[in-house]
Amino acid sequence: MDTLTNDLKKKLIEVLNLSDVTPEEIDENEQLVGGDLGIDSIDVLEMVVMVEKDYGVVINNKDIGEKVFSTLAALSAYIRENSPKLSS
Amino acid sequence: MSNKKKPVYIAGIGIISPLGCGVEATQQTLQENSSAIAPLHPDIFSIQNPPPLPVGQVADLADSPLPRTHRLTLAAAQQAMAGHSQPPDAVIIGTTTGGILSTEELLIEGEEDSERYSHHGLSTVAEELAAVVNCTGPALTVSTACSSGTVAISMALKMLQSGEAEWVLAGGADSLCRLTYFGFHSLQLVDPEGSKPLDADRKGMSVAEGAGMLLLSTIKPPHPLGQILGSGLTCDAYHPAAPHPEGEGAFQAMRNAINDAGSNAREIDYINLHGTGTPDNDLAESKAIRAIFSNPPPLSSIKGATGHSLAASGAIEAAIAAICIQQGFIPANTGCTTPDPALRVTPLLSPLNQPVSAVLSNSFGFGGNNACLLIAKSDSPTAVYQEPEHAPLTILGKACITGAGHTQASLETFSKLAVIGGVLDIKIISEQLPAGKVRRLKRFSRIALALAAAAKEDSGLKESPHSVFMGSGWGALSETYDFIDKLQSSDEKFPSPIDFVGSVHNSAAGQIAILHEATGANITSSGGDYSFEQALLAADSFLDEDSPSAFVLAADEAHKQFSPLFDSSISVDTPLADGGGGFYLTRQAVPRRISVQLKCYRKETGTIIDTLIADLGGKESLQTHCKMILAGIPAAVAHLGEEQLDSFMQKTGLDIPVIHYRMFTGEFASASGVAAVMATQLLEDGVVDFDKTVLVLGFGKYVTAMEFARQ
Repeated sequence: MDTLTNDLKKKLIEVLNLSDVTPEEIDENEQLVGGDLGIDSIDVLEMVVMVEKDYGVVINNKDIGEKVFSTLAALSAYIRENSPKLSS
Repeated sequence: MSNKKKPVYIAGIGIISPLGCGVEATQQTLQENSSAIAPLHPDIFSIQNPPPLPVGQVADLADSPLPRTHRLTLAAAQQAMAGHSQPPDAVIIGTTTGGILSTEELLIEGEEDSERYSHHGLSTVAEELAAVVNCTGPALTVSTACSSGTVAISMALKMLQSGEAEWVLAGGADSLCRLTYFGFHSLQLVDPEGSKPLDADRKGMSVAEGAGMLLLSTIKPPHPLGQILGSGLTCDAYHPAAPHPEGEGAFQAMRNAINDAGSNAREIDYINLHGTGTPDNDLAESKAIRAIFSNPPPLSSIKGATGHSLAASGAIEAAIAAICIQQGFIPANTGCTTPDPALRVTPLLSPLNQPVSAVLSNSFGFGGNNACLLIAKSDSPTAVYQEPEHAPLTILGKACITGAGHTQASLETFSKLAVIGGVLDIKIISEQLPAGKVRRLKRFSRIALALAAAAKEDSGLKESPHSVFMGSGWGALSETYDFIDKLQSSDEKFPSPIDFVGSVHNSAAGQIAILHEATGANITSSGGDYSFEQALLAADSFLDEDSPSAFVLAADEAHKQFSPLFDSSISVDTPLADGGGGFYLTRQAVPRRISVQLKCYRKETGTIIDTLIADLGGKESLQTHCKMILAGIPAAVAHLGEEQLDSFMQKTGLDIPVIHYRMFTGEFASASGVAAVMATQLLEDGVVDFDKTVLVLGFGKYVTAMEFARQ
């Protein structure tokens, strides 16, 4: 697994206080919102803040947001494509 | 409309909003169908990253050292009280912001003098107002997010109908502040072009400010401005911030208001929508409307004109409903040009001049909190009405949390007369809570949830109660601190949506509702050191034989930075303490069970102790029945409180044990919730004889008395 996806798993646990979950237990291809992790719309918005703060990627459009946060793998790919911090 | 309840008349209206100050200015702007929403002006507060978002701001608010919410309240109250010299028996304010705008500025300046934060607390708004209008009865504060103003008026309605009061000044107020401006923005709920409710292209709300006040009375004034006929309060018990997608709670609130008024849907001439302009709210509300009205009457949201003034909005809109009835006028759904066909309701696109007899006014808020009022022309006959005779409030289960642990550990330690004050490890507080469901919640909400779970367990009942009445002096301090801290440390770039949702005073009560599927009334009261008493008063006002059961709880969290700044009983050297207590209650007589009654809630005056003794049935009755007193004297008012207690003991001639409970619990606002549980235990254990009573007395700026007795 790539470093970015792994980092995102750790940040997901930290930002959303998923204290009983380990990074290994998160499947990046599983449905993120409404799945087993119990993530909802407020969590997504907290991740939006984290993604902008840590990667400089702004997600302020609902349609894009729904695609980007469909899975952790999708989020990882979107950040990789759009992050000025990763490309620099 | 047939209604056997006491009529409640609108005797005075006060309104200050972005539309203007006073009834005339408000009506004129509504007639013009123009929006007052404009970019945030730096006079209110400056932001670091322009452009400013569109907001609804009040122009030309008189300056004073008081925080902005207080000033808005006083401006509206002055209008409502014009021509009325008699002080109201109670004041009830719905607010979510209190003095936070001033607090934000002081924190930015790094101010460490706690004196300067003396108006931070939500309860100070009602207390300032009570001082100005010479009200010596209860000064109550409800904080149920965006439904607060409507809930405050609902509570006034109940107190008036029950005969508890004859005159009540009630309403809501909120000022703009960084917390709500950045908070709603972080939730992506703000329309960057300004709110356009019900429009196909709506993108959200515009945060606003204002105040609305109604002077209400059961005594018919010479020129009544309308009547409050009914109210309905429900909770979605679904999500902390999003409405139920089918609008179920909203539907039930409207249905309850119509039933409470003894009315039916056909008699409604106008629906004043909550209509914030967020895609989810407007959709859920339209579904609820369609479920009640097969052919809805004219309807509109005025929030495209005013913005969403949060706790003030419901009170402002209740005032506007009365104006509509008076003037035969219905405002337009300003801002909407293309109604969203998906909503399948059509808002008024221009104002209408036609007679209006009955208005339904909706307000919904975070925590799934729904409130609805039915306001009507004052021509209903003064029917024969009866004041309801209620059964006592019986304690079915009790719970407390202190530094010593959960209920059993706290009560056992206290029974040895050992100190129970302190700050319990959050892991111990949370040990019985479902980890996944509370992961976002910080200390205050966890204490409250643990209390609810324990009170239910203690009751031995499988069913949770229907309603929740929560008290808290300071609410979610951790979330409030963390939100402001993250906002400031990121140069206002990264406010936390989770902290914003959690910072709302009623976040804990909303979470209790979700976990316990409590879809009835859900009220959070914030009355400083008398917050538990305010929650009990609210429960007493709302619980009836149709909806008898509730959690009545109070909790506060200790916060290293905020507690010494805000709570004047806590200095930097005071050992921190927190927790809370409360009950699973029912409005039903249960033989041998303990009942609780709030006998007194009054402001300190020269004659307060005589009044207290009278409220408690007189000296002789006290000497016969009362066998123990738990006295709450907050450190900040130690001298006054001791004087009041001495005077009480002297005047009653009582020679019974008096326990200064804060010496055991430590200093925190909702310590009286713990004392209430102690009092119950003393009776249950037989420490006090079965036919005797225990009093929990609160002293200081206000004097309160709760009486515990075995039935």
